[in-house]
Amino acid sequence: MTGYETADPALQSAYRILFIGALLFLAVMMLFCFLRAVWGPRVADRIVAVNMIGTMVMVTIAILALMQKEGYLADICLIYAMISFLAVVVLTKVYMGVYRERQEKRKEEEENADA
Amino acid sequence: MLDWIRFIVGAVVLLLGLAAFALEVFGSYRFSFVLNRMHAAAMGDTLGIGISLIGLIIFSGFNFTSLKLFLVLVFLWFASPVASHLIARLEITTDEDLEQFCEIRK
Amino acid sequence: MKRKDNAFFRWFFGETDTMLGRVEMRPQQEYTETASDIREVMQDSLTQDQTGDEEDFVLIRVFHRLYRVAAVFFCVALIAVLLINVSWLPKNGGADNPVNNEVSARYIESGLQETGAVNIVTGMILDYRAFDTFGESNVLFIATVTVLILLRLDKEKKAPAKKGMPVYQRPKDELTIAQAQSRDRIYEPKNNVILQVVAGFLVPILFIFGIYVILNGHLSPGGGFSGGAIIGAGLILYLNAFGFEKTERFFTEKTYKWVSFFSLTFYCLAKSYSFFTGANHLESGIPLGTPGAILSSGLILPLNICVGLVVACTMYAFYALFRKGGF
Repeated sequence: MTGYETADPALQSAYRILFIGALLFLAVMMLFCFLRAVWGPRVADRIVAVNMIGTMVMVTIAILALMQKEGYLADICLIYAMISFLAVVVLTKVYMGVYRERQEKRKEEEENADA
Repeated sequence: MLDWIRFIVGAVVLLLGLAAFALEVFGSYRFSFVLNRMHAAAMGDTLGIGISLIGLIIFSGFNFTSLKLFLVLVFLWFASPVASHLIARLEITTDEDLEQFCEIRK
Repeated sequence: MKRKDNAFFRWFFGETDTMLGRVEMRPQQEYTETASDIREVMQDSLTQDQTGDEEDFVLIRVFHRLYRVAAVFFCVALIAVLLINVSWLPKNGGADNPVNNEVSARYIESGLQETGAVNIVTGMILDYRAFDTFGESNVLFIATVTVLILLRLDKEKKAPAKKGMPVYQRPKDELTIAQAQSRDRIYEPKNNVILQVVAGFLVPILFIFGIYVILNGHLSPGGGFSGGAIIGAGLILYLNAFGFEKTERFFTEKTYKWVSFFSLTFYCLAKSYSFFTGANHLESGIPLGTPGAILSSGLILPLNICVGLVVACTMYAFYALFRKGGF
């Protein structure tokens, strides 16, 4: 017996209001995170903001899973967590590699300019 | 009556989690440097999603969906600190004028 | 081995090119541009500019304008025809649509009995429309082959550009595999102990979750494509934590080749058999089992495993090719 599958109409509407309010709140928060990702001066800022959006999306999916009474949406929540972690790992590695490569090139150019 | 008590407890916990998210976003605007902002961001990753999912587990009761949500929590406990560590490492490697923002002991 | 002397086997294992020596071949000749050639070409273009009459210019201008107008007219006409066509389609969601009352009703009513899959969507894509899914798996394979052609690095570096060579003939500045590996080692942080410990814990969980999604494809949402994507994500995480040396011990191009080959061949043969028996009203001999059990719904479970293997290998191969240019 789950709490939200109730016969009481008042309780049903209360659950509905709570869930929709939470979803709207999360949507507004995600918008602010998106602004941070666009505005963020450094790459790390953007990755942090995207990570924050991912966390909020996970809560959104979990709320939707309860609201729609479809338990399998929780699977998608788990997959989303994995993929967002993987995104952070890959992005940080790639950016570090790109930065070091650029540094090497700059050094070489300076040496060439000196010589 | 019991259902109402469960609703109220769950709603309070869920709203606490959402408040943690609000603080996270506020912090990411309040601080001026990435390594400081990451404190706020990590709070959402652990505290915000943890409390929100506990609230949802209270709503859902003892079943398979709750188990999956709990697995999400366990996964994030492992993954989120590592993600923060990697981002901090990226920032420290790539920032050339780090001394402006924090003291570096060599 | 005696069998390997066969010409077919030699071609199949890539030892020799069977066409070599039988077809007349000529290597592409080097094109050298002399100064007199260049002068000739320039002279030609100059004279073309000079000899044009005023009337010709007007005609060309009129033609260009007409061409643009005609292009716009053609596009608008095409869009109009398509839109008119769409407007004659039955109304979306109408109760008496032919789609609504035949195909989907049949899927919903007799899908469980005919395919044995509790999840109607899987029963549709892997039973009624299985050749469609076969095409999708092949598209993934072909995409990998194409990326392999585009991004693959040579084992040895190409000959360097000579001085007098025209720009379009110079070989591109490409790395060899050894160089790319050393570069990967230098530029990208690899020995991150924290990431390694966590990956060692998380990668098996990812694999188990992916296998769960694949094996339960006919019972719950999911199936080959999503489960394969999860396993591919686990492989990519493992690669990021431990580097190419560890992954190359169990996943190389050869693994990819054989896994894809066996999955696609098994898929094709199994589905051909089931379509053949179905079309001729024969007993296929494949038990459907009790709906809801793991070992049920006939061919859907093995086909799901095949699709999952292809998708997982493709994801990993794409990542490795884009990162290093080989795997």
